[in-house]
Amino acid sequence: MMNNKTTAGKYLLSFVAVLLSLTGIAADGEYSVARIPQALLKNANVVRRLETEEFILKNPGEATYKHKIVLTIMNAAGDGYAGLVHYYNKFVEIKSIEGYLYDANGKELKKLKSKDIQDRSGLDDNNLIDDTRYKEHNFYYKVYPYTVEYEVELKYTGTMFYPDWYPQPYQLQSVQESRFVLTCPENYEFRYKAYQYDGQPAVAPGKGTKSYTWEIKNLPAFSREVYAPGNRRLRPLVLFGPTEFEMQNYKGNMRNWEDLGKFIYALRQGRDELPDDVKKTVHQLTDNLTDPAARVKVLYEFLQQNSRYISIQLGIGGWQPFDAKFVAAKKYGDCKALSNYMLALLKEAGIPGLYTVISAGEGREDIFTDFPSSQFNHAIVCVPLAKDTLWLECTDQFKSCGYMGGFTGNRHALVVDENGGKLVRTPLYSMSENRQVRNIKATLDEAGDLLLKANTLYTGMQQDDLHYLLTRLSKDKLKEHLTEELNFATYNINSFDYKEEKARLPHLQETLDVSVRGYASITGKRLFIVPNIMSKAGSRLDKDTARKYPIELRYAYVDIDTVTIELPAGFTPESVPAENKISSIFGQYTCSVKVEGNKMMYYRKLEHAGGLFGASAYEELAKFYEAIYKADRARVVLTRTEAPPAKGF
Amino acid sequence: MKFILLIISLLTVGATATVAQDKVPVKFGKVSPGDFAPKVYSIDSNANAVVIADVGSTEIVGNTKGWFSLEFKRYRRVHILNKNGYDISNVTISLYTSGDDEEKLENLKAVTYNLEDGKVKETKLDTKSGVFKNNVSKKWTERKFTFPDVREGSIIEYEYRIKSDFLFNLRSWEFQGSIPRLWSEYTVTIPQFINYVFMMQGYMSPAVRENKAGQQAFSVTASGGTGASERYNFTANTQTHRWVFKDVPSLKEESFTSTLDNHIAKINFQLSEYREPLTYRNVMGTWTQLAKDLLEADYFGEGLRKDNNWLGEYIGDLVKAGGSKKEIAQRIYKYVQDNYTCTSHNGLTISQNLRNIAKSRKGNVAEINLLLTAMLRYADIKADPVIMSTKSNGYTYSLYPLINLFNYVICEARLDEKTAFLDASWPRLGFGKLTFDCYNGHAREISADAPPLQFVADSLMERKVTSVFIINDEQGKLIGSLQQTPGYYESYRLRNRLAEKGKEQFFTEAAKTLHSDAVIQDPFIDSLDMLDMPVKVQYKFALNSEKEDIIYFNPMFGEGWKENPFKAAERLYPVEMPFAFDETYLLRMDVPAGYEVDELPKQLVVKLNEYDEGVFEYRITNSNGVISLRSRLRLSRANFQPDEYELLREFFSMVVTKHNEQIVFKKKK
Repeated sequence: MMNNKTTAGKYLLSFVAVLLSLTGIAADGEYSVARIPQALLKNANVVRRLETEEFILKNPGEATYKHKIVLTIMNAAGDGYAGLVHYYNKFVEIKSIEGYLYDANGKELKKLKSKDIQDRSGLDDNNLIDDTRYKEHNFYYKVYPYTVEYEVELKYTGTMFYPDWYPQPYQLQSVQESRFVLTCPENYEFRYKAYQYDGQPAVAPGKGTKSYTWEIKNLPAFSREVYAPGNRRLRPLVLFGPTEFEMQNYKGNMRNWEDLGKFIYALRQGRDELPDDVKKTVHQLTDNLTDPAARVKVLYEFLQQNSRYISIQLGIGGWQPFDAKFVAAKKYGDCKALSNYMLALLKEAGIPGLYTVISAGEGREDIFTDFPSSQFNHAIVCVPLAKDTLWLECTDQFKSCGYMGGFTGNRHALVVDENGGKLVRTPLYSMSENRQVRNIKATLDEAGDLLLKANTLYTGMQQDDLHYLLTRLSKDKLKEHLTEELNFATYNINSFDYKEEKARLPHLQETLDVSVRGYASITGKRLFIVPNIMSKAGSRLDKDTARKYPIELRYAYVDIDTVTIELPAGFTPESVPAENKISSIFGQYTCSVKVEGNKMMYYRKLEHAGGLFGASAYEELAKFYEAIYKADRARVVLTRTEAPPAKGF
Repeated sequence: MKFILLIISLLTVGATATVAQDKVPVKFGKVSPGDFAPKVYSIDSNANAVVIADVGSTEIVGNTKGWFSLEFKRYRRVHILNKNGYDISNVTISLYTSGDDEEKLENLKAVTYNLEDGKVKETKLDTKSGVFKNNVSKKWTERKFTFPDVREGSIIEYEYRIKSDFLFNLRSWEFQGSIPRLWSEYTVTIPQFINYVFMMQGYMSPAVRENKAGQQAFSVTASGGTGASERYNFTANTQTHRWVFKDVPSLKEESFTSTLDNHIAKINFQLSEYREPLTYRNVMGTWTQLAKDLLEADYFGEGLRKDNNWLGEYIGDLVKAGGSKKEIAQRIYKYVQDNYTCTSHNGLTISQNLRNIAKSRKGNVAEINLLLTAMLRYADIKADPVIMSTKSNGYTYSLYPLINLFNYVICEARLDEKTAFLDASWPRLGFGKLTFDCYNGHAREISADAPPLQFVADSLMERKVTSVFIINDEQGKLIGSLQQTPGYYESYRLRNRLAEKGKEQFFTEAAKTLHSDAVIQDPFIDSLDMLDMPVKVQYKFALNSEKEDIIYFNPMFGEGWKENPFKAAERLYPVEMPFAFDETYLLRMDVPAGYEVDELPKQLVVKLNEYDEGVFEYRITNSNGVISLRSRLRLSRANFQPDEYELLREFFSMVVTKHNEQIVFKKKK
């Protein structure tokens, strides 16, 4: 490691150091807390004192990565970041780990001993086997502030993934100094692209090599804001990538999406041969179908019935699909293997399909489309048909054919064929596709107990969560979940039922029969009832914070509620909320309630926009939500005009 | 006497003879098309998979290391009914390891059966390429595999054998689990020269319970180091125990449960003694023996017996500062709490000596609290370690000194006639307080006499008092203040949240969850740093009431119970709440200026049962323009039996309903 202890001398003239030496604390070290500028202490649980990353490419297939990080932990909330965790696998080897602990004055307290490093399996419940492991260390110190320093050296024997330079990955952490150095042979062309960062790298030639250095200093801590885009869209980030690279015995080039696609294509070459019995089945299933879309659907359902998701990631197997024959015999595979198998089935039926890689996950950030690199974590299948394109998720045994939902919808995917890769946008589901239409018929009795029958239609993204639960939970587990979910004080679910209509845009119909104890509260002669029974909006936002970042609302949707409540005899309205209409760039809201005789009618409609909005719109969003919050909870008050019917005889 | 005994034994014989259905109904490899017929099983129409048979046995055999080994065999058949049952076909087998010696998995066979065109198709697991090893820790490794060709309706079957040189690790058996079992059977054969204690738990009785005497031949080979090996052959009497449970439903986790593991039907074993012809040795021993061994062991109490004068370097000043024993103990407790990090709250033994613990400033809960014990002794305060099992780790039994059931160590300190139980492993826990996870029944003091201790959740009383004052100010607006002393554990939770979030973020979030129509001013939390006491929360507020003709006002001011904590309609095993509690809410409120009371909620007093173990009072009055409300909810027990559940749910339903009621103010004409 660099000798940090002696470099302290050059700072002696700085104001802080002079002051400190006057007050008698002359012996403070490089990492003394006194050396942190005031502005970096504000709102910071952690000060990232110094981070240096050096990525040294020896040749297109081999690299060394040295990572040094020095963090000052200001309080208990920063403890979670004080440890070291480094993953390794067949392509990344950990050569050395060093670590030091310092007190507030920068005095060294302890040095890491290799026997204190834990070595653990990276296997989680989703994987059958995976060669990823990790090393872990923690000083477990708790006299604040304290400073930890770690320096790790890794050897890369696969160069498909370069590290990013991302100096401020977490909120409530400031950055004092961060640097990234990339060194490679002078004739090698690597690639980079900067985001939220204006600086240009300093370039220095070496002996047959060249070095680029990026640097940043004194970034104050920031706070996450609700509905803000991911940190990688907000904070400085430089992405790096290779041109030529190697993984095991496979060579590729990443200079553009086409070439990356070629590499991915090559990995699955010759792996789509089906066994004869499966070929026969494909023909039995599809030969009499003329519509290509119908053929795809039948084969997709065959896949769903005859496979399950099991992950095995060993070596190049992390990127290369298992053979179609393997899946045919074992009836399991990971996303790559199952997508590859699906493509083989389609090919046998004469339908060209395309292997596609994507960054999957509910609410996950899209990839950076202007920087070709392997930003993907999942494989799916794309089937271009005459009129439109079908997307197939092959690891899910329950999904509607062609529906992507929040897991893979509305983002970019790399579609691969023999000519290479091409970025394509997956569908965005619109407001009219994401519906929740609810109709409640309820009866209220003298005691305030409510018996309700609710019919709800969910479509598109609004059915995603429920579809997931419905297909994964047994009926009694589902009831348990509903029991947790419904927002009433004491109640029983008398019956419930779901009907799913699988389609390109899936529909889910829910029927609930629920008795709610004391839904209306009764005080003397008055009865208080909230006519909005099941669709109370929950969001309220802080109004008085100065918004910094844009607002990102994942998708647009519409909710419509119609409620009819039969009231006990002998009540007349005392207070009925007026009709309410709220209009905003974020959508339209309207609700109204009427009492006619012993019937109460309620109507509510919320059209909620999606997409990206500027930071200045935040106040309007807060106002919109606050108004809806209040309107959704407005009460009707009824008074008893007749004496209750006499009990008994 | 003789007469009665005779009847019993006759009955037993008769019982075994008449149970015709006591043989495993299925056999490995014998799968017929008819076995696929059931689409739903009557035991649980919602099941995703059903265990048709799960059969295990353990025998003790001689080995070639001059001693004995356990031989565990298992056979299991599962019918997978739908896609959600696929997970059962991913199998993990855990093996104990110690140094080079690992339990050996042998004869693994796994086959998937499917019905194709009316014929049974077999697909075998390739055990050469399809079984993966995963190293979990120094003590445990795993073998993992998944069945090939699994579909809806598949039957899967596997069997294996585990040879183990670790006699203490006689495998327990779970007769119950997350999917229903039609047949679950375990047979254990114990020779006369080894004894185990059996511990059966759960709420079901076995359909078959057999106990048969027999004989077994043993062959033990001892290698003579450099020379020839010696071989011993002998025959010994054995007892074979067999349990069969039939039609066992799955058990589901519900709220207020210590751990489901305490409630499933399960049998555990503990090695207790070696007998003739082996040299007699009591392995399990007695509590006093166990305490003595622990106190002498380097992995527990050896360091406590020494003169630890070196501790002066750490706490010498704290001791010299003087004061009562309690004051000194408090100082030492705080020192350990503030300077040492607990790396695991699961630990009964220490893996570094006291000096290293003190130096490294970290350790598991045993290390932290044994260091605390040593420090108190250094200060001349009588202190002993106490071992216990936390709720999530399951119960222990005062009858059996079974060290493996324990996972936690605290310290018992004798202070001027009072005893305090101390746990310095949590950063914000008060002196003399334990987290409620420790209130799991039996615990043991590790001292010469090793007396039992009891920590019962029923004994924890969480008291909370809230007072709200609301008056008319000069402009005729309602303003007020709230003062609250939450119970100790609520205060503890609040302190922890505050430390995690930082003060600023905490208060912004807290303000949002307070009363929605009130504007909060000057929120303040007192006694935050006095960790032994509950905190005090207080704030002022202004109510933004518009001058409507009628004002509806909930007098609980956002402090009422809004939801019934008992959601499920029924309960099959006990309710285990963390503590008993007593909550009082007081309101004194001016009637808003220019208004009069049109309606007040009615008074209510409800008792949970005739033993006065729970009471809910709601008393409200209006006199001379001032409304007074007193709401009190007391539950004197934390644990309730399943048959009390209905009552408990009903009781809380009444509380929620009452707390939801409104006062109605009407504008004066």
